[in-house]
This record gives sequence, structure tokens and C-alpha cells, in this order.
Amino acid sequence: MTAAAIEARGLGKDFGSIRALDHLDLEVREGEFFGFLGPNGAGKTTTVHLLATLLRPTRGAARVAGYDVVRDDLQTRRSIGLVFQETTLDRDLTVEENLRFAARLWNLPGRVAAPRIAELLGQFGLLERRRDRVRALSGGMRRALDIARGMLHEPRVLFLDEPTAGLDPRARRSLWELLQRLRAASGLTVFLTTHYVEEAEPCDRVAVLDRGRLAALGTPAELKRAAGVQSLEDVFLARTGHPLAEPSAA
Amino acid sequence: MSRRAVCGIVARELIRFQRQRGRVLASLVRPFVWLIFAGAGFATVFTGAGEIDYRRYMAPGLLGMVVMFGSLLAALSTVTDRDAGVLRMVLVAPIRRSTIALGKTLGATLLGTTQAVMVGTILLSLVRLWPGPAGLLLAFVAIVLSSLALGALGLLLAATIRSIENFAGVMNFVVFPMLFLSGALYPVRRLGPALHALVYLNPLAYGVDLLKHALLAGWTSAGYGGEMPVALDVAGLAAFAVAGLLAAARLLGREEGVTRAAFRERD
Repeated sequence: MTAAAIEARGLGKDFGSIRALDHLDLEVREGEFFGFLGPNGAGKTTTVHLLATLLRPTRGAARVAGYDVVRDDLQTRRSIGLVFQETTLDRDLTVEENLRFAARLWNLPGRVAAPRIAELLGQFGLLERRRDRVRALSGGMRRALDIARGMLHEPRVLFLDEPTAGLDPRARRSLWELLQRLRAASGLTVFLTTHYVEEAEPCDRVAVLDRGRLAALGTPAELKRAAGVQSLEDVFLARTGHPLAEPSAA
Repeated sequence: MSRRAVCGIVARELIRFQRQRGRVLASLVRPFVWLIFAGAGFATVFTGAGEIDYRRYMAPGLLGMVVMFGSLLAALSTVTDRDAGVLRMVLVAPIRRSTIALGKTLGATLLGTTQAVMVGTILLSLVRLWPGPAGLLLAFVAIVLSSLALGALGLLLAATIRSIENFAGVMNFVVFPMLFLSGALYPVRRLGPALHALVYLNPLAYGVDLLKHALLAGWTSAGYGGEMPVALDVAGLAAFAVAGLLAAARLLGREEGVTRAAFRERD
């Protein structure tokens, strides 16, 4: 069997006395569309930051694209794309300048970056806005640009941390269609965190996270069958004893 | 060390600067406001008037001030990057923290130097100061070295302060003491021993002193030129630049430093 795209063994993180992530064992396969479902404060973002080398684990270990996230942090970062919950674009730069800035940070030579930027701008419907400042873009377009930027260096694993948070339903739907298209075209491994069941539903497999612990793991159909329920929302309730929508910590 | 990443960070600083018209204008006008108003006031109590015109005496200090505002504040923009989220994107790039520190500091150096050269061209003709080619060259070296040292210091401050609200604190407890203990407005040798000792801890003091060597060489014997040896000025600036860069790179790499602060509002 080939190396898993993501592999976590007993991964955990404490912030002072707060146990943000308790003990996570997880394997995400190459090319899989993996959903990480849980309420706010469940530890989803902490997990993503641990896998993206932005935080050091308190316990356990993890490998992403075959690289140890602590020992090989640079190679890990080179192999992943990460789209944060909030936009990380420079609002004073144009669409194109933001991508060129990222291309330099990822050490892509101009002759590689230029055609790639043109291609992404086309795919993400931003070609006509390429000379506009990010400040002037709608929320949905900014998000699309965030994702385009995350894919610029052709990562093996793309992390999307609540990519549709803060978007109106229409922008959410069109972003969602875009993601499906991209994935079908590239066969990229996608690790998506969300607290919306409808976004977890189309995933190949879903991990349910609650209060820093893995509550369930499997395909959406398996999870529903095992719990004897009709929806992922009810899976969450059956596995954790409380509803997903109820605001827990954050 | 990725040269391309350093260039990218520097290029972004330049694009941002030239888009912020207010910032450009303020940096070019501020020294002349000081020249006119502070110059007029201090000239009335200046005891060296028989030796040198006070406005001419102020010129090296004003250039030092341009460098300080230019490069220290440019490096402090790292705090703004953090608030805007841009720093997250930089931190997730496959580059070392030291590369980020170097890029930011070089960007600040370039901005400080450019502003000081622009102001200097007008200022020296206004106060009719003609130091000759050797003096101009030394002045340029002084400007570059001071920009580097102050940029590194600004980055160090940015890596330690938590939010943009602390800007005011930096202005009151760093920028103003640094200015008044730099020799920009009066010779530091007249300060009491305690304050005079602090001068040696002030990177701007070495920069202004080197600028005085460059621009006021003719008044050294009268006591209005450089007050410390040139070699000490250069060594002082170099030491601040290197120490600032190393410390900032360390702090930026620290999980509890910028990384944690950049994500502090979440779980």
C-alpha cells in the first residue's frame, strides 16, 4: 500500500491547561476527499495547524505527504496548500500581485508561475478582475482567490479550513461547485473542516470530532448505517450525546 | 535561504509604500515641519549660534529622524500584517523564519534609505550644506547602516508587541526617547552621566553621529561635529543590525511568538 496522504498517531495539543486536541489517530488516503466535521471549538483548526507545521504537537506524531511534520517542516509546507478560515490576502495588492507574491514565497520561477497564474485565474473566474485590488472583490471572490493561491504550487494535499464560513448561500454554492470541479480534474487529496453537515455529506469519508476527540470515522453511508440514523446530524447526536448545532466552547 | 522569497517580501513592501500616498507625503514633509518650527524655537536657546547656524546643525539629526520613521515604522508593519492575516500566509510558506526576518528588514532598509535620500537632497540645499563627495558618500553609508539597524530593531519590536494598539506605546517609549537621546537636536556630551550612558544603547545615536561626521566635519573642532569615533559608530550600527536580526528571527520562529499570536483568536 502506498503512503497515506495524512497519517496521525496519538496526535495531541494542549494550550496551557486546555486540551485542544486529545489523542487523534487518523489516516487519509491519497486522492481522498476527507471531511472533518465538528462544532466550533472541537479542535478542527488546531488539527489543521498541527498538520501544517504551524503548531508543534504536545503528544504524538504526524506525517503529511510522507513527511514528518516536526522534523521535515519545510518539505511538509512545500507539499501542502492551506486555506485559512479568514482570508490571508493583502487587500492593498491586486489579484495578480497577490498570486505573484505567493509564487515568490513558494520559490516558483517566473516562467513557471506566469502560466500557472493565468490558468488559475481562468479556472477561478478571476481573469477579468486580475488588475483589481483585493479590497474591491466580493467575499466569494476573495475566497476563490484564497483557494487559487493555495493551489498555486500544485500541492499534494489541500487543507480547507471552513472555506465557506462567512459567505452568503449563493457564493457558498458556487464555491462548492468549483471545489468539486477542481478535485475531479486534479485528483488532489482534500482535507476539509466544516461544521455544516451538507458539506460533509459529499465527502469520501468523514471524521467526526468533538471536544478534541474522534467520535466516529467512516463514509457518510457507513456512519449513518452504524448509528441507525438518516443524517450526519443524527450521527453526531448519537455518537456524542449532544447536537452539532449547539454552540459548545467557542 | 530563498533569495526569491526575500525579493518577494521586499517587492511587496515597496508596492504597498508607493500606494499609501499619505504615508509617503508625511515622511517627506515631517522633517521640514521640524526644521521650520522646532528649528525656529531651538535656535533661540542654542548657545553655539556664533559657530554654526542651528538649522544647519539640525540637518544630520533630521536625516536620522527620516531614517528612524522610515525604517522602524516599516518594520513595525509586521504587526499590521499579523492583524490583516497576511502573516499567516507567509508563515505557511516553505521558508525559514530567518528568511522572513531578512526580507522584512531589507524592505525597511530600502524604504528608510529612499526616503532619507529624497529628503536629504532638498534639506542640504535648503540649509546650504555642501559636504563634498567623500562626505556625501559617508552620509549615504550612514543612512544605509542606520536604516538596517533600525529596521532590525523595528522587526524585533513587532515580534514582541501583541497588537496594533501598542503602537502608541512604542511611539512614546521607544521613538521619542531614541530621538532625544540621539544628538539629533543637541550635542549629547552635555547630557548628565546617566543619560549619556543611555546614548550608547541607542542605535539612532550612532547613526546621527556618523551623519555628523559626514556632514558637519568642518565644525568638529567647535564641538558640533561627530562626538564618537567613526569606527565606533559603524560598529555600533552593525552590532544592532546583527543582534536585531538574529533576535527577531528567533522570536518569529517561536511558536508562542508570532505564530500563536497570529492565530490567537481561535481555539
